[in-house]
Amino acid sequence: MDDLSTSLTRGTLDLLMLKALTWGPNHGYAVAEWINQATDSTMLIGEGTLYPALHRLEKQGLVSAEWGLSENNRHAKFYSLSKTGRQSLEKGSSSWHQFVEAASRALRATAPLTA
Amino acid sequence: MSDHGEPLASGSEHDPAKAHSANAESTNADSANVESAHADSTRKHPASNHHTDRRPRLFRLETGAQRVQRDVDEEIEFHLAMRAQKLGRFGLPPDAAREEALKQFGDFSTVRTECIAINREHHRAMNRVNRWQDFKQDITYAIRSLGNNKGFAAVTILILALGIGANTAMFSLIDVLLLRSLPVSSPGQLVTIGNPDRVGAVSQGSEQINLFSYPLYTELRDNAKSLAGVYATGRTNRLNVRVQGDSNQSAEGEHPSGRFVSGNYFTVLGKPPARGRVFAATEDRVPGDAPVVVIGYKYWQRRFGGDPSVIGKSLTINDAPFTIVGVGARDFDGDLVDRVIDLWIPLTMHPFVIKHTEYLTERSTSWLQVMGRRAPGYSITQVKAEAGSIVGRSLVAHAKADDIQAVEQQLKEEPLMVGSGAQGFSVYRSTYTKSLYTLMAAVALVLLVVCANVANLMLARGTARAREMSVRMALGASRMRLVQQLFTESLIIALAGGALGLLVATWGSKGLMRLANGEGTGIVLDTSLNLRILGFGAAVSLVTAALFGLLPALRSTRVELATALRSSGRNVTGTGGKFSAGRLLVVAQVAMSVMLLVGTGMLLRSLQHLNSADVGADRSHLLIADVEAQPLGYQSVRLLAMMDDVVRRVRLVPGVVDASYSENGIFSGTESGSSLTVDGFVARESADSNAAYDDVGPSYFRTAGAKVLAGREFTEADNETGARVVMVNASMARHYFPTGSALGQRITYNDTSREIVGVVADINGRGLRETPDRRFYIPMKQYAEPPANFYLLVRTVGDPAKLTAAIRTAALGADPLLPIRRINTLSSLIHDSVSQDRLVAQVVTLFGALTLILSALGLYGVMAYATLRRTSEFGLRLALGAVPGSIVRIVLRDALSLTAFGLVIGLPLAYGMSRLLHGQFFGIGAIDIPSLTIAVVVLSLAATIAGYIPAMRASRVAPLDALRAD
Repeated sequence: MDDLSTSLTRGTLDLLMLKALTWGPNHGYAVAEWINQATDSTMLIGEGTLYPALHRLEKQGLVSAEWGLSENNRHAKFYSLSKTGRQSLEKGSSSWHQFVEAASRALRATAPLTA
Repeated sequence: MSDHGEPLASGSEHDPAKAHSANAESTNADSANVESAHADSTRKHPASNHHTDRRPRLFRLETGAQRVQRDVDEEIEFHLAMRAQKLGRFGLPPDAAREEALKQFGDFSTVRTECIAINREHHRAMNRVNRWQDFKQDITYAIRSLGNNKGFAAVTILILALGIGANTAMFSLIDVLLLRSLPVSSPGQLVTIGNPDRVGAVSQGSEQINLFSYPLYTELRDNAKSLAGVYATGRTNRLNVRVQGDSNQSAEGEHPSGRFVSGNYFTVLGKPPARGRVFAATEDRVPGDAPVVVIGYKYWQRRFGGDPSVIGKSLTINDAPFTIVGVGARDFDGDLVDRVIDLWIPLTMHPFVIKHTEYLTERSTSWLQVMGRRAPGYSITQVKAEAGSIVGRSLVAHAKADDIQAVEQQLKEEPLMVGSGAQGFSVYRSTYTKSLYTLMAAVALVLLVVCANVANLMLARGTARAREMSVRMALGASRMRLVQQLFTESLIIALAGGALGLLVATWGSKGLMRLANGEGTGIVLDTSLNLRILGFGAAVSLVTAALFGLLPALRSTRVELATALRSSGRNVTGTGGKFSAGRLLVVAQVAMSVMLLVGTGMLLRSLQHLNSADVGADRSHLLIADVEAQPLGYQSVRLLAMMDDVVRRVRLVPGVVDASYSENGIFSGTESGSSLTVDGFVARESADSNAAYDDVGPSYFRTAGAKVLAGREFTEADNETGARVVMVNASMARHYFPTGSALGQRITYNDTSREIVGVVADINGRGLRETPDRRFYIPMKQYAEPPANFYLLVRTVGDPAKLTAAIRTAALGADPLLPIRRINTLSSLIHDSVSQDRLVAQVVTLFGALTLILSALGLYGVMAYATLRRTSEFGLRLALGAVPGSIVRIVLRDALSLTAFGLVIGLPLAYGMSRLLHGQFFGIGAIDIPSLTIAVVVLSLAATIAGYIPAMRASRVAPLDALRAD
């Protein structure tokens, strides 16, 4: 990914992480797996980048974290979507859709605007 | 809390399968194999640790920053392990799988560092929020828990309100008298010059250093470079004021308070008027030039209803016409903190208001208080040096040739006083400072007793809540949290008590003022709340919270979890902690009460001594009338004739034994002093050539009931033409003629040599605490300038107060216009002179009673609790045949032994206190046996009563109930 693509994915990643938690609390590994599968591994170049992002969401209060036991009985940090996180996901995805639509329309344009 | 995290590499220990197998192994092991059992217990440890993991997790955010790092490491490790596991399922060998997982993870160390940074910051924010939320939670909890126990809350808050209120009230008096700055611009630059305590004093005779005559003031004003400005003020006596155009006024008019001030008074203070203008500095240069007055804001409101048209209004002061030109600022009552001034009159109008006086020209009349504003860059020391040399030069320059040496000597011994003037002048500051500090100490003791009492209540409450505390600790609350929570409760109680205490304080300081004024002191103090007083109240509340809250909080959270949970509340206290703490508090209370009670006793006994002290005159049969004939222009021969006429008429009043007159009277507050030389006596120090004097009428001493020790007293023959004679008092005779008789010796006063014809016993005319001055007496008729303001002394049979009216009528027969101000009995004058002692004694008695009650209550509480604890023991004793009386004895002995401990500690403290305060006492030593005895008896009595009630209750216990109660 080049610089331009990196900056494009940043905000999107937050949305995707929130999305990944809509089905219930889960640990970072599961979030990474879901994003990889859902995006054909195009979003996460280096799974580690997910964690600072997740922790930032926690700090912003969009997700909350608690330690618990994983499906194979291991000690894991579970994230769950908070109320504000859910609202922020809804708002974020609708504006993301608007943004992408507008941006694609503009990128498909063939002529400059006439005054 | 135990650690939960493991280092990155030891993750395998968490494998539940392994832990399980270890467990299984141990259960199958040979039970006889000690080593195996040992191994079992050690291996079990990680598993059990794992098991309790959930509890510490709840408090994850409350632990240190180390944890953040471990959490991050563990989370990453989990991710890598999961990834490696998944890769392993695709057939990768473990090592390669882990390597691949790391590769997919990306920049491991950057991610880790960033995560830790984010979490640390988050952590800190959460801590702040948590602390705030803990605090809010504590407050809600405390309020709810106090609400559940309204009686407890009400009693503690009330007791504290009394303690804090009394302290704040006392502090507000200290504030206004000693701390508060004048409401003028830059009060810090003001300096008092001369003795600031001699407000209202007038000294005639040789020129004073620390009280200014008008000429001396003008020299200072015109020559001091270290002062940007310097003003002078002086007393006015009583003023008769009539406002022009006011029909319903008596002929005499009204008597507002007034003060003579130099023209620059308001400008030096930097106090602009609320209305109109203030004096111009030029308005005090030519006598009679400025018939203008500035009136006080309060007088303006009170007398003129705040009418703006008051400016330009005319009024007469002692019949001299004046015009009102201004109204002083709203917050300004003058530079005297305990007087409200209604009228400011220019100094140069003095001869027109107080007629027949030469106060503006005489160097021998010292009557002015002087205040200056330091020029920029000059320190108080520099002002003192400069002003001192100006005053010194002037005094020497104007001294008579043979006095120069004495003046120089005096200047050396008593240099000019210069001090900070920020707090203004005060009539009462110097006399009340000691009393105020005494009262402050007493009231602080009250507060300590209050704290001890409340602490005891808190302890009892803590005991009742021991189970609650242990449950909460078992649930994982740290002791710190519980202490914090209990302390929050104390804080709330203290602040509520403090808030209520402010009400008590306003009410209390008003009450104190009323008490003081009831004694005729006429103090006007502005004790309204200000920031400093509020701050003091808050600080006292916080300190009390710490005093009464911390110990119980620490005590009641010091519980043995297991025992507390297992057993009832009563056994919890069986550890003895609370019990001994409560007892210690009672001992401390008793000790402090002893101090206050002994102090109370000593003050009351001092008062008793003051009331019966010998003043050298007939206390119970003397009337002293205050005659101010000066405005009528009486002088020399006419004056002396009037005096004799008055005396003759008064002597005819039935019930009057004798009458005479003198310039200064007894306990009148006026005083004369002069330098003199005694033939054959060489002065060793300047004080040796000074003595007090009075000029008296014939048979003055017979009238006063004073004892003539040797020689004779003055008769009608000691007149203008008679030989010049003088009488001396015993102190003077002793001083100058320690070996021989004073009779026949000669002294020279005012250039006249006089023979001593009599020695009279000392009359204590100034104050009971004062050592009598060396004093000489001159026949009025041989006195150079007989004073038109004098005192008429009348001796009566029976109660002198009853003859007041008859004597006034008789005296007015000599001149119907004769202004007779007051006629007082000597006993009432003496009574007034000890008003301050009475005030202090009354207030301390109040405090003493309060602490006595509080201590008795404290003792009662502890005894009641102790007997409750021993119910079963008493029941058993009764069941075994003990008589109820023996139970009563046991309890009473306990109560009295606590009291005895308190006495043992308190009595030496009381002794120390009385040594410290000896200036407040009169006629008693540092150890006053009656006071000590009374304190001990009163306390023991209170302790007996406090112990008797629980003792009786204990002795009436039915043995079976008592045994069952266990």
